[in-house]
Amino acid sequence: MAKGYNDPAMETRFQDRYYHSADNPEFTKEVERISRTIAHMCFQCGTCTGSCPSAPRSSYRIRKFVRRAVMGLEREALTDPDLWLCTTCYSCTDRCPRGIAPTDIIMAMRNLAFKWDIIPRNFLKTVQLIYTTGHGVPNNDVNRAARVKLGLEAEPETTHKYPEYIPGIQKIIDHYKMKENADRILAEGEH
Amino acid sequence: MHEYAFFLGCIAPNRYPGCEAAAIKTSRKLGIELLPLKGASCCPAPGAFGAVDLNVWYAMAARNIVLAEQMNKDITLICNGCYKSIYEVNERLKENDDLRDGVNEVLAEIDMEFKGSIDVYHLAELYYDPKICGVDKIRDSVTRPLTGTKIAVHYGCHLLKPIKERRFTDSENPMWIEELVDALGAESVQYRNKMQCCGAGGGVRGFDLAHSLDITNEKLINVTEVGADAITEVCPFCQLQYDRGQIEIKEKFGIEWALPVLHYNELLGLAQGMTPQELALDLHGIDCKPFLDKIR
Ligand code: SF4
Ligand code: SF4
Repeated sequence: MAKGYNDPAMETRFQDRYYHSADNPEFTKEVERISRTIAHMCFQCGTCTGSCPSAPRSSYRIRKFVRRAVMGLEREALTDPDLWLCTTCYSCTDRCPRGIAPTDIIMAMRNLAFKWDIIPRNFLKTVQLIYTTGHGVPNNDVNRAARVKLGLEAEPETTHKYPEYIPGIQKIIDHYKMKENADRILAEGEH
Repeated sequence: MHEYAFFLGCIAPNRYPGCEAAAIKTSRKLGIELLPLKGASCCPAPGAFGAVDLNVWYAMAARNIVLAEQMNKDITLICNGCYKSIYEVNERLKENDDLRDGVNEVLAEIDMEFKGSIDVYHLAELYYDPKICGVDKIRDSVTRPLTGTKIAVHYGCHLLKPIKERRFTDSENPMWIEELVDALGAESVQYRNKMQCCGAGGGVRGFDLAHSLDITNEKLINVTEVGADAITEVCPFCQLQYDRGQIEIKEKFGIEWALPVLHYNELLGLAQGMTPQELALDLHGIDCKPFLDKIR
C-alpha cells in the first residue's frame, strides 16, 4: 500500500499547486528559527537514525528530515506522513556529534505543517480539549469516584476545580488563532 | 518541612489518582509538603500540543509557572511530560530575552508576567537529593519492605533528555532511580536497551497506535527477559502506555503480557504501608496482585 494519510480532505489539499512549490531556502531559515538549533551543521553521519526507536519499524528516517531541512525541501518534508512518527524521545539529540537537536527540527517542521493545514486529527482534538477544559486528558466519572474513595476531592486543584482560570487560557490560545484553525481543519475533514 | 507547589498535570489526577494521593502522603513522611497549585492546566503536552504551535506551548507553560511564582514556591511534579514543559520552558525563558519578551507580551493580556523567580524539580529528583531527602531517608521511611521482588526501572525520556538542558549528567546508563528502588527493599534489575522510549510520546500514541505499541512491546520483551516482577517509572504517561498498552497489544497483536506497572510513588506508598486500596491500584489495567504476592 502506498503511504498516505487516509484522509480525503488532506489528499485533496495535496492536489493543489500550493503544495507543489519549489524548494525554498527560506524554509531552512524558518526551521532553524523555530527549532533554535543549527540544522546546517549536519554532516549526515546517521547517528540520529541509528538511535531512533521509530526507524526500525517504519520508513521514518530522521537523518532524511534533517537533510530536507538543510536543502530547503519544504514540500517533501511537510507532506511526508512520517513527520508524525517521532516520539520526541531525544535520543538522537543526545547523541548527535554535531550538537544538533534533530527532535526540535521535527517539532519546527510540524509547526510549519500546521500552517499548511497538514496535521493529523488527534493533535487537533488535543487542542480542542485543552481549550475547553484546560486538560489534554480531562477527568471522568469513574475517576471522580475513585478520587473520592482515596480521600481526594472529585476535581483536582486545577482548571477542573477552578474553571474561572479557563478564559485566561483561551485568550492565550486565541492570541495565536490556534483553536480557530484547529476547528476549521477538523471541519474540512468531516464532509 | 520543604514546601513545593505541586503541579499535577493531566494523567496522574485524571487517570491514576493513586499517584497523586501517594505523592502527597509519602512525601509528607519525608519532610516534603506538596501544596495545591490552584488553577493549573495541562503542562501543555510537549509533543501532542507543542507539535501544533510552540508559541502557545511556551505561553501556556509559562502561565502555569507564574501561578507558582505568585505563591513564591518552587514547583515539583511527578510526570516526565510535565517536567519537559514546565522545567524546560522555565529555564529557556530565564535564559532567552527574546522568548521571554514574546511570552510576556501574551501574558500581559491576562495580567500576568513571567519573572523567572522559581525553580522546577521532578519529585524523584528531590527524593534523591540528600539536601532535601536522600536515599537513606527513603530507606528509613519503609515499614513494609518490598523484599523478594525484582523491579525494572523505566526512566522515561523527558526526565533526562536532552541532557544538555538538564541538571542530570547521564542519559545513557543512569542508576539513581535504581538506588531509590533498592532502598525500598526490592531488587532493581538491568535489562537490554533500558533507555529506550516507551513509545507513547510526540503524539505517536494518538497518530499511529500500532507503531507506538510496537515500541512498548519491545520494552516488555526486554524487561520480562530478565525476570522482572514489575516495571516502575516516574511518569504517568509512560505508566498508561505500559499498563493500558498491554491490553491494547493483546487486542492488536494477540500477544499476552501481565506485567504490573507501578509509578515510583505507588511503590513508595506500598513500602510505607499504604494499602492497594489507598493507592487505587484497582484502576490499573494490569492486575498488580502477582507483584503484591511476591512481597515476602
Ligand atoms: S546525528 Fe547529527 S550530524 Fe549526524 S546525521 Fe543526524 S543530525 Fe546530522
Ligand atoms: S527524538 Fe524522534 S527522531 Fe530522535 S531518536 Fe527519538 S523518535 Fe527518533
